[in-house]
Amino acid sequence: MIIRGDEPEQIRLLKKLYRPGNYFMQGNEAVAYGALFAGCRFYAGYPITPSSEIAETMARELPKLRGYYLQMEDEIGSIAAMIGASWTGFKVMTATAGPGFSLMQENLGYAVMTETPLVLVDVQRSGPSTGQATKGAQGDFFQARWGTHGDHPIVAVSPVSVEDAFWETVRAFNIAEKLRTPVIVLFDGVIAHTREQIRIPDPEDVEITYRRLPENEEEAKLPFGDPCGDGVPPMPLFGHGYFTHVTGSTHKENGLRDVYTPEVHDRLVRRIHRKIESHEEEIQKWEEYFTEDMDILIISWGVSARPSLGAVLRAREEGIKAGLFVPKTVHPFPGKRVRELLKGVRAVLVPEMNLGQLILEVQRYADDVPLRGVNKIGGVPLRVDEILREIRGVA
Amino acid sequence: MGWVMKMQIRFAGIGGQGVILAGVILGEAAAIEGLNVLQTQDYGSASRGGHSIADVIISKEPIYDFMVTKADVLVALAQLGYDSTKEELKEDGLLIVDTDLVKPDREHIGAPFTRLAEESTGLALTVNMVALGYLIAKTGVVRKESAEEAIKRRVPKGTEEINIKAFRVGYKEGLR
Repeated sequence: MIIRGDEPEQIRLLKKLYRPGNYFMQGNEAVAYGALFAGCRFYAGYPITPSSEIAETMARELPKLRGYYLQMEDEIGSIAAMIGASWTGFKVMTATAGPGFSLMQENLGYAVMTETPLVLVDVQRSGPSTGQATKGAQGDFFQARWGTHGDHPIVAVSPVSVEDAFWETVRAFNIAEKLRTPVIVLFDGVIAHTREQIRIPDPEDVEITYRRLPENEEEAKLPFGDPCGDGVPPMPLFGHGYFTHVTGSTHKENGLRDVYTPEVHDRLVRRIHRKIESHEEEIQKWEEYFTEDMDILIISWGVSARPSLGAVLRAREEGIKAGLFVPKTVHPFPGKRVRELLKGVRAVLVPEMNLGQLILEVQRYADDVPLRGVNKIGGVPLRVDEILREIRGVA
Repeated sequence: MGWVMKMQIRFAGIGGQGVILAGVILGEAAAIEGLNVLQTQDYGSASRGGHSIADVIISKEPIYDFMVTKADVLVALAQLGYDSTKEELKEDGLLIVDTDLVKPDREHIGAPFTRLAEESTGLALTVNMVALGYLIAKTGVVRKESAEEAIKRRVPKGTEEINIKAFRVGYKEGLR
């Protein structure tokens, strides 16, 4: 049986279990509830700090919604189980942190190549290696982009608050389902363990979507083709009467391996890119503050976006014309918008909890504007006054 | 002690003292009152014995920092917790300590919270509720009723009564 999450019975269950209203909740819990509202009914995972409350919440809640929680032996097994479950029609998720994210890279590539919808939450902590287990960081910006090998597109979203974590997780599921692709939620250990007020909505007010299924035998025979013309093939689910071959090796439109013919590989990998690129406008999302009138642009993401906003507000009080741009979709990066914003700006600051990662992406769009990183590692989030000091320094 | 726009409160102790739960309950109480509140935590990876910190920022305006930058109030339940964060307390900030377990090198108030917990409930682990009651009586940062409602929501089922009892012992001590 397929559960999409918007069936009347599921809506009834959600309403009964989670009354709409204000809750004082942790970021990790918000991710889990976002997943449940988005229709996720399968979770395979291996708990790791600072992501464990996501697993705990899913383990407790999924059975109440006719879903499944699977405790796996490690992270490699977790993502493998989730790929299998996705092919049976479940919306699936796992959550991990840096060391586990490293282990998942191989199968993340498999999910890209087999066009398997899934949501992978990386609650970033200080690395490299096991690093600081209980501390937050933003060091996985490029691991999300290029952690798995070979040419591939990737979609990653990054929430900025507890309430945002709920909605960005919903959005991650919708993108994954719509484009038949893995989506990463680049979360962090600070917001993950922050509690604040969030409004749990009425499940009927949460827009969710489900992958396109083949409408006839012809479409089902092209699980890796482009019968609909938008680069996203309908997904013939296991157990629904079709013979479907799924492989991480280069395959033809019908799914059968062909690892020799150059054109087959070229066609497949270019289409997988095209399906993301041609939907970029729908995928991209950002926030802007005071950008219509600014000398100094702050570009920040995730946990660092909020103290950045605090600093921009303080700078404005001091008469400094600072503006803020916050990409919520960090991959593919909204570079076009950044290029527009950079016109006429005197300086750009990029606050982040790493030694300079987003700034490298920004650099691709900054021709002659001086860029400066505001970098902090060690697990303690950037503070408003620290960012304000840097703004004053370039004002 | 009244407060105007914003109060930054830090609880510091060692793992197992329920420091984080105290922070969560204070945060929930502020949320019940419709205040802006942000609660975070910092802890070692050991489940018991490492330092443990809970931050609660309560404000009538939006909050942009994720952690306490300078604490208005520091509640220290163990020497290790105190030592790890004493620099973060404002010079004119309020220091509240378990007077049996913490020997501070500056002006402070407090009571033997752990001993009071043991004497009143028979359980040393209700020390967090005793200290929370004391803090609320001293600062008025949230109402007593909101805190008791938050305790009911947050402590394990069946332990509400014992936790509220400990909370009231601390509250009463704080009014003295």
